[in-house]
Amino acid sequence: MRIYEDLRAVQTRVTVIQYVAVALVAFLMIAFWHLQVVRGRYYRNLAENNRRRNVPIAAPRGILRDRNAAILVDNRPSFNVVLSPEQTLNLDRTIGKLSHLLQIGEAPIREKLPRRGAPPRDIVVKADASRADVAAIEARRLEFPEMAIHVVPLRSYPLGAAAAHVLGYVGEIRGDQLQRANYHGATAGDIVGQFGIEERYNSELMGKDGLRVVIVNSRGAEVGEDKELSSAPAVGPSVTLTLDAGLQSVLERAFAGRSGAAVAIDPNNGEILAMTSVPAFNPNDFAVGIDAAGFRRLQNDPEKPFVNRVTQGIYPPGSTFKLATAIAALEERVITPETRIHCSGIYEKYGRVYHCHELGPHGSVNIEQAITASCNVFFYEVGVRLEIDRLARYAKMLGLGIPTGIDLPSEAAGVMPSREWKRERRGEDWYPGETPMVAIGQLSTVTAMQLARVVAAAATGKRVTPHLVKSVGGKNVPVTSPLDLGFRPETLQVVHRGMRGVTSPGGTGWRAGLPGVPVCGKTGTAQVVGKARLAKDSSADVQPHGWFIGFAPAENPTIAVAILVEHAGGGGKAAAPIAQQLFAHYLGVKLPPAPGAPVPVVPEPAEAEPAPTAAPTPAVIAGTAP
Amino acid sequence: MVDRRLLFNMDWVLLGATVLLCIIGIATIHSATYTGHNAGLYVKQIYFVLIGLGALAVSLVADYRRLADRSPLLYLLALAALLAVFFFSPTIANVRRWFRVGPVLVQPSEFVKLAAALFVAKVFAEAKKDTLGVTDIALPGIAIGVLAALIAKQPDLGTAFCLVPLFLTVAFLAGLRFRTIIGLAVLSMILVTAAWQSPLIEDYQRTRVRIFLGLKDDPQGAGWQSRQSVIAVGSGGLTGRGFKEGTQSQLGYTPARHTDFIFSVLAEETGFVGVVVVLGLYLLVLWRGLETAHLARDRIGAFLVAGIMGSFIFQVIYNVAMVGGLVPVKGLPLPFMTYGGSSVLSSLLAIGLVLNVRMRRFAN
Repeated sequence: MRIYEDLRAVQTRVTVIQYVAVALVAFLMIAFWHLQVVRGRYYRNLAENNRRRNVPIAAPRGILRDRNAAILVDNRPSFNVVLSPEQTLNLDRTIGKLSHLLQIGEAPIREKLPRRGAPPRDIVVKADASRADVAAIEARRLEFPEMAIHVVPLRSYPLGAAAAHVLGYVGEIRGDQLQRANYHGATAGDIVGQFGIEERYNSELMGKDGLRVVIVNSRGAEVGEDKELSSAPAVGPSVTLTLDAGLQSVLERAFAGRSGAAVAIDPNNGEILAMTSVPAFNPNDFAVGIDAAGFRRLQNDPEKPFVNRVTQGIYPPGSTFKLATAIAALEERVITPETRIHCSGIYEKYGRVYHCHELGPHGSVNIEQAITASCNVFFYEVGVRLEIDRLARYAKMLGLGIPTGIDLPSEAAGVMPSREWKRERRGEDWYPGETPMVAIGQLSTVTAMQLARVVAAAATGKRVTPHLVKSVGGKNVPVTSPLDLGFRPETLQVVHRGMRGVTSPGGTGWRAGLPGVPVCGKTGTAQVVGKARLAKDSSADVQPHGWFIGFAPAENPTIAVAILVEHAGGGGKAAAPIAQQLFAHYLGVKLPPAPGAPVPVVPEPAEAEPAPTAAPTPAVIAGTAP
Repeated sequence: MVDRRLLFNMDWVLLGATVLLCIIGIATIHSATYTGHNAGLYVKQIYFVLIGLGALAVSLVADYRRLADRSPLLYLLALAALLAVFFFSPTIANVRRWFRVGPVLVQPSEFVKLAAALFVAKVFAEAKKDTLGVTDIALPGIAIGVLAALIAKQPDLGTAFCLVPLFLTVAFLAGLRFRTIIGLAVLSMILVTAAWQSPLIEDYQRTRVRIFLGLKDDPQGAGWQSRQSVIAVGSGGLTGRGFKEGTQSQLGYTPARHTDFIFSVLAEETGFVGVVVVLGLYLLVLWRGLETAHLARDRIGAFLVAGIMGSFIFQVIYNVAMVGGLVPVKGLPLPFMTYGGSSVLSSLLAIGLVLNVRMRRFAN
């Protein structure tokens, strides 16, 4: 038995190993010193960022109210079914379950999943889920903790399609909008105004989004909230419009089944009381996010439901233009109220023959009678006496062919022809033979909004700036005050008398008349195709558009309207009854119950006055602002 | 048997440091798990430590030389256990590593280390040569290599690799020539390259290494564990975020936080101060353990101690370096602190063997 082995060589090598251990531990201590003490602050930040996640809370947009505080646009709570993909243990099973519970395909869910390698984030599987969906998901919360229901504010338009073009709609912000002023403060993914007041007043309506700083665990599940860093969302200020919801609904009802544009304003200050453009869209359809196909279908619809026909649809004014010619003639004294011109049915000038309409000849008429009868020959002559420059100056002064300045986006201007305009646009000299046609409303194009402004100016002698917003967050919005055009009272009185004749029994706009309240009006016809084609083709879409513009009461008017019914054949038949409804509701006049009840004493005159031999000006609908 | 003379030679410092590490481990496990469904694991760990200390005490009764004499038998037992694991053990998380014994899972590879230490000590002690060449270590090398290969196949690369420093440390003490060491180093490099290509290495293991070497960027995958551990360690700062206050650990960012990455929790919650204390305790255990190799009365005792300590050095250094993001992530428990009955029991029994050698340095 060996009791003492010689272990010296072994012991030397043990010492080597001991010092190797010391060296290794020392190395680790240095490494940890560097990690924890030298770079400790850096890693502390990383750890904090790891566990904090910022969850924005969408601020509800401001509410829109009408002039009587009735709610036009509201927010309602909606339920989104949300999936946190990184929290699921078996994504395929979860997606299959969701697809089954919500009755949606698996493909649309998978499309929304973040791409591989992208940071984990929640996806909205179904927006604005029904109560049944919510119940189905809630019942399986324990089994599928990765599913959640989020409550988000959703824009709601209780009026549906009514005033859709005024109120607009909301949708996710587009890339090109991020830089624009009225989207200041919005970031990608935000829901912003895309049309109408929602667009124009977007920055005012947007509230301030809140922020929840939540503490999440490594699976992304929320385990707490950092209240100090979180902030509550601030609701956007409510906006009060000049609209009258009651009048608006009367207008929508009266317009049902037709297409066209109508606007009613207060002629004293330009406040818009009602406005509709038909066909319209239902902004509720976009609140959740319409499918791309549905949106494209609306965009490509030949009826152009996305065009606000009141401010963006440009049409020939037809005989409604004669008000401008009449005012210009009286103000420029090329005629007096007593001047009589003989209408033989035709007017010969510059080697051409201009026709009056079917109801002529009118014989010897003065200005008042000429307005009532819409005598073309009278206005041909007056136009020739005025010449184009003076006529164009008055038309523009009244607001024709220039934007009205309404607080809606993308307003169309239309065209008021003049010597200058023709030289600039066509490079041609003015042909005097065109002046008589301009005088009766040919060759120019206008919007319904412009004509409402013109008829308001004819009513009060003041040009107003039409506007829709009264106040934002309780503070009144500054408006351009009405501009006195300096017309002589006598001029306006004569024009009013002629316009009263229009709405009187036997006038072209008799259907706009009210029992007991004198009403002023003027009808017009906007040609779509030439007379020759009209004679051959009787289909609806070549029929001319019908105008009615007017105001009531005749003395101290409180409401002025411009109504265009597309393919109506004439203004008196389709547009004037709509005006009557508006006047009656606004002025509180009770109408006889049956529609079209009063039988006129005289035989019904044909609708207005198809144009002379000149080439027709087709109606133009502008898609966007010029 | 165990007379007073033996108790007089008991290394209370080594035992005390070991028990202290176990207690720190229990506290850290508690902090790492008390919120989740693993709450209460620390109680089990207390039982494991108590059972381990009991087993340690019992093991002191037997003379280490008698144990070493029976090491060929132990070797065969180890071999049989590993083969049994390979064929009969349940597959848990794609791994065949455990036996189910009643309510507990036993991991034979942990105990294979002890058998290997005894076997290697015995073989080299009997060599009775001052210097050793390749031929002298070839046979024991193959014997240990078979064990390592079986463990690696489970797959458990970390534990398998523990046998390498165990073997090399003993071989080094036994007089392995330096030129042989260099030769082996070159050979191992070639082998590593070959192994890299071989089907022995699983794809996830390749991925881990690639990510570690910066050849692959995957912050959400395998690199994520390492990254989160480093953030946890770094955020601990000088004095730590406080017991149970580490956000990385408590919110689950730190991976395997009561097992392989337990040191990450410690570093986050107790900071550099705690790191120095615990690394100091480990160094104390290693140093005092190797002191026993100095004091051992025979080669077999010195080799047994050196083999055990060689394995410990590797485990502690590699595990802590992995937590600090210095080496690739590998499933390797930290002795005494990592949760797990097999690891605790085997580590305490290993300390028992060291104490055994020291107690009997004057005995016949």
